[in-house]
Amino acid sequence: MCGLCGLLGTVHWTETSAHPNAFTGAGRRTIRAERLHRAALVNQALAAARLKLSDFQATSYIVRSPTGKQAIVDDLQSVWSAVDQLRGAPIDVLDEAWIAQIEGSEP
Amino acid sequence: MIPVNVVTGFLGSGKTTLLREVLASPRFSDTAVIVNEFGEVGLDHLLLEEVEEGVLLLESGCICCTIRSDLKETIRSLHDKAARGDIPRFARVVVETTGLADPAPILSTIAADPIIRNHYRIANLICTIDALNGARTIAAHDEAGKQIAVADRLLITKVDLAETDSVETLKRQLARLNPAAPVATSSGSGFDADFLFGADVGDELRRAAEVQRWIASAEALEREREVPSHEHAGTHTHHHGAHGGSHGGLHGDADTNAFVLRFPEPIDWTAFGIWLTALLHAHGERILRVKGILQVAESQTPVVLHGVQHVVHPPMHLDHWPDEDHSSKIVFITRGIDEQRVRRSLNAFLAKARALGPRSEVA
Repeated sequence: MCGLCGLLGTVHWTETSAHPNAFTGAGRRTIRAERLHRAALVNQALAAARLKLSDFQATSYIVRSPTGKQAIVDDLQSVWSAVDQLRGAPIDVLDEAWIAQIEGSEP
Repeated sequence: MIPVNVVTGFLGSGKTTLLREVLASPRFSDTAVIVNEFGEVGLDHLLLEEVEEGVLLLESGCICCTIRSDLKETIRSLHDKAARGDIPRFARVVVETTGLADPAPILSTIAADPIIRNHYRIANLICTIDALNGARTIAAHDEAGKQIAVADRLLITKVDLAETDSVETLKRQLARLNPAAPVATSSGSGFDADFLFGADVGDELRRAAEVQRWIASAEALEREREVPSHEHAGTHTHHHGAHGGSHGGLHGDADTNAFVLRFPEPIDWTAFGIWLTALLHAHGERILRVKGILQVAESQTPVVLHGVQHVVHPPMHLDHWPDEDHSSKIVFITRGIDEQRVRRSLNAFLAKARALGPRSEVA
C-alpha cells in the first residue's frame, strides 16, 4: 500500500500526502515541512478572519483567535470546525470578500 | 477490501427487481445484502430472502442519520460472523436503501467507522429511476434529484412500459442532474450487473477504465457548455431556461448545476486539500459530488479524487495518464453553487500557494 492511499493509520484524506513516500516527484517534502507548508497555506485562508494556525509537534494543529482563545485539533477538516467555534461563523471560500482578499493580498 | 454498493431509488422504481436478478447470477452470489424495511416494503424482505440467506433487516424505518449506528452494527456483525465462520464469507455487500433515503449518511458511516473503513470500501452507488414515473418523482421530491446527482450509475427501469420519447426525455433530464454517471436502461431483466456493480474506481483493475469514463463525461460537459460561451452570464440562463421549457416546466432540478474545472498546470496538492476541505465545511450539503483526475505538483502520475458531499474518498493513484492531456479535470455537481465563484476561489488560492511555495518549502 502506498502512502497516498494511507488507509491504515491516517484518518483524514488530506493527511495522506504528509507521508514522506506519498509522492514520487522530486519536490518531496518531509512530514514536518509538509505540515509547515500546510499551516502557512491555512494561515492565508484564515488571515481575513484574524485567526492563526500553528503546527503542534507534527501531530496536531492549534488555532488561535486574536483575543487569545485557542483550540487544538487533529486534522484539516477539524480546523474548519474550530474556526467556526472561535469565530462564530465558518470561513467561506466562496465569499466575495474572502476571494478578493486572497486575490489581492501579498503572500 | 470488500466493496459496498448502495442501491437507491424511489419506492417502486425497481430496486428489488434489480437486486433479485443480480443476486441470482453466479458472479454476485456471494454478496451480503442489507435491506431496509419501510412501510409496505416488507415485501422486499420476502423477495430477497428467497434468493439470499443471511439477509439482514434494519429495525428502524429509515436509513438516514438516526440509524446510522444500525448500519454500522449490521456491517460489523456481518463481518464478525463471516470471520467466525457462522455465515459464508462474502465478497461484496449491497445496501438497499428506502425510497426516501439520503445516500450520503450511508457513505459517511462506511467511511468514518475505523473497523469498517479498514475492511470495506465504498463502491458504485446505483440509483434506479422508473421510466414511467421518474420525471414526476424528480419534480415532486427533492430527495430523488439528490439520489440521482450523487449516483455512480443510473438505471432507468421499466422502459418497456414507457414511450420511447419519454425515456429519451428522462435520459436528458438525468444527464443534466448528473452528467458524470452513465445511464443504463432495463425492462426488468438482463441487467449488466458487472457494469452497474462491479466496474468502480475503487477497484485497481477497473480504475483506469472508470476514470476514462469520467474524463469523457467531463469533456462532454465542457463541450455542451461551450456552445453559448460568448455570453458567459447567459450560459446559465440559457442552459436551464431551455431545458425547463422543454420538459413541461420541471423546475425540480433548476438549482442542480454541474461544471468542470480544468487546470493545465500541476496543482499544489496541499493547497487543493485545504481549499476543498474549507469549501466542503461551509457548503458540503450543496456540493453533491466532486470527481476528478489531478495533476499534482508532487507526483508524476495522476491522482484520482472523488467525494460525495462531506465524504471524500482517500485519493488514489493511476499508473499513467489515460491520454496525452495531462491537465487536471474536476467535475462538480452542486446545488445552487456559483460556478464562476468556485473557479475564482480555487484559482486565487492555488495562485497564492504558488507564490508561497518556495518559501514554505523546508529543505
